[in-house]
Amino acid sequence: MKKKLLLLSFFAASAFVVKAQETPADPPLEISGSVDTYYKYDFSKHSNIPTSFASDQNSISIGMIDLALKKKVGKASFVGELSFGPRGQSQSLPNADGNYDETVNSYHIQNLYVSYDVTDQFNLTGGYMATFMGYEVISPVGNFNYSTSYLFTNGPFQNPGFKATYTFSDKASLMAGIFNDSWNLYQSVSKVNTFGAQLMVAPVEGWTAYINLLTGKLSGTEIDLTTSYQITDAFKLGLNAADFSAADVVGTGGFSGIALYPQVAVSKDVTLGVRGEYFKTKDGSYLTYGPQPGSSVTSFTFTANIKGGPLTFIPEIRFDNNKSENDGFFKSGAVPTKNASQFVLAAVYAF
Amino acid sequence: MDESNKYVYYKIVDKPGLSIDTLYQRAIYAADKLGLQYENVESDAVHSVFGKDKLIVYSGSSIMRKASGEIAYKLDMETKDSKYRYKIYDFVFTPYKRDRFNNMVAEPGIFIPIEELASKYGKKDADAYLDQLGLFCKTTGDKIKVYIDKAQVIKKLETTKKVDTDKW
Repeated sequence: MKKKLLLLSFFAASAFVVKAQETPADPPLEISGSVDTYYKYDFSKHSNIPTSFASDQNSISIGMIDLALKKKVGKASFVGELSFGPRGQSQSLPNADGNYDETVNSYHIQNLYVSYDVTDQFNLTGGYMATFMGYEVISPVGNFNYSTSYLFTNGPFQNPGFKATYTFSDKASLMAGIFNDSWNLYQSVSKVNTFGAQLMVAPVEGWTAYINLLTGKLSGTEIDLTTSYQITDAFKLGLNAADFSAADVVGTGGFSGIALYPQVAVSKDVTLGVRGEYFKTKDGSYLTYGPQPGSSVTSFTFTANIKGGPLTFIPEIRFDNNKSENDGFFKSGAVPTKNASQFVLAAVYAF
Repeated sequence: MDESNKYVYYKIVDKPGLSIDTLYQRAIYAADKLGLQYENVESDAVHSVFGKDKLIVYSGSSIMRKASGEIAYKLDMETKDSKYRYKIYDFVFTPYKRDRFNNMVAEPGIFIPIEELASKYGKKDADAYLDQLGLFCKTTGDKIKVYIDKAQVIKKLETTKKVDTDKW
């Protein structure tokens, strides 16, 4: 016979409860964000690796303070996300004139968009939005590794535009949108003619895959696969693969690459992970943040995430190996070399 | 706790004079009103409605309050002549994370039985989520009672009080 013991302790609270399917009261203005700081030491005694953030050699430096506001009333919502600091200004955002310039003030805007749920399945969103492409993001809270991949650094950061998303079920959704002619800028160069689309599928529980396309006469064409699979409670495997071809008016060439992200939780508060990346530049005139056109780089980053409440410590060691000595790495004394390595210790507080 | 040491919210309610079919139809009505995904099964002795759904739980307060996870649950209602019972059980927590567009979304593939919450997230967070779940279970139980009783909600008309501004 079953015991009929009720959870009397449950009744003590006077907390907020919202049932998913019922119409809840409109939530208040939400504030969230993060702050991050880091120390980096490149073993050649100067900065070598050209990917984003963690840029300062032998320095205790700051990333950014990221402040995000969100409000939803009924079916309408907005997000405004401001960032201050090198990571949140000249390293990821242009100024009003479209340049990445450390010496003058910037707009500080990471996200600024409005959104409307036409139905439970159909949503319209417009404004200046973080890109839907790729595995890694600007916010350090959204990444496992603190340094970033070549695929991230060379892909778009933001795409201003207008998009419509239809959610078929928990297992599939489709987004299509029209975006400004150039990535990342707060305004178009002259047209709104970049087409973007994203198909999301979740074939099995814990596995999500995003197939992304972004193509335009000025922005070029990037096809991207971003997927992650939580295979067990402790083990997660992520993958990002992309191919980019520059627009004819910009030049010839582009890049392609693949990155794998296996991660294993060894305890409640500690997760270990590796990022292994192969990044290849195509022959042509288009220059990347990476090796010269027609070359390649292989990179391995070993990272730990050690959590203490909302604070995460991220020690990381990274080894990059270019195909050629002439691809941009130098030993101390400015001697060209194929190899670069660095150590980073970062701290990220999320709120 | 039930016999498997799992949290359960469980009640048996006597409804003298009401047939199994009447209570069964009212249980289906309750499942619809609660927005459950459900299936209903009839046997000779017992008619049943097996439902499931999720609730969102929050951390923080005021403007720092944000959705921090969702708890999936099952809700079964079984009817016999002159009584019914329901139980809310099989609670599984999935944490939320902030995505690139600043929305809080479920982390795919993470499913934590609420009995293990404290060992995964610490006592403070676990207690906060359990408090919210407890309140939700009580509220849902109250709603089931209303739906199955088919209680009429009579709105009391309030007359607007008027003042005579000419007299002062």
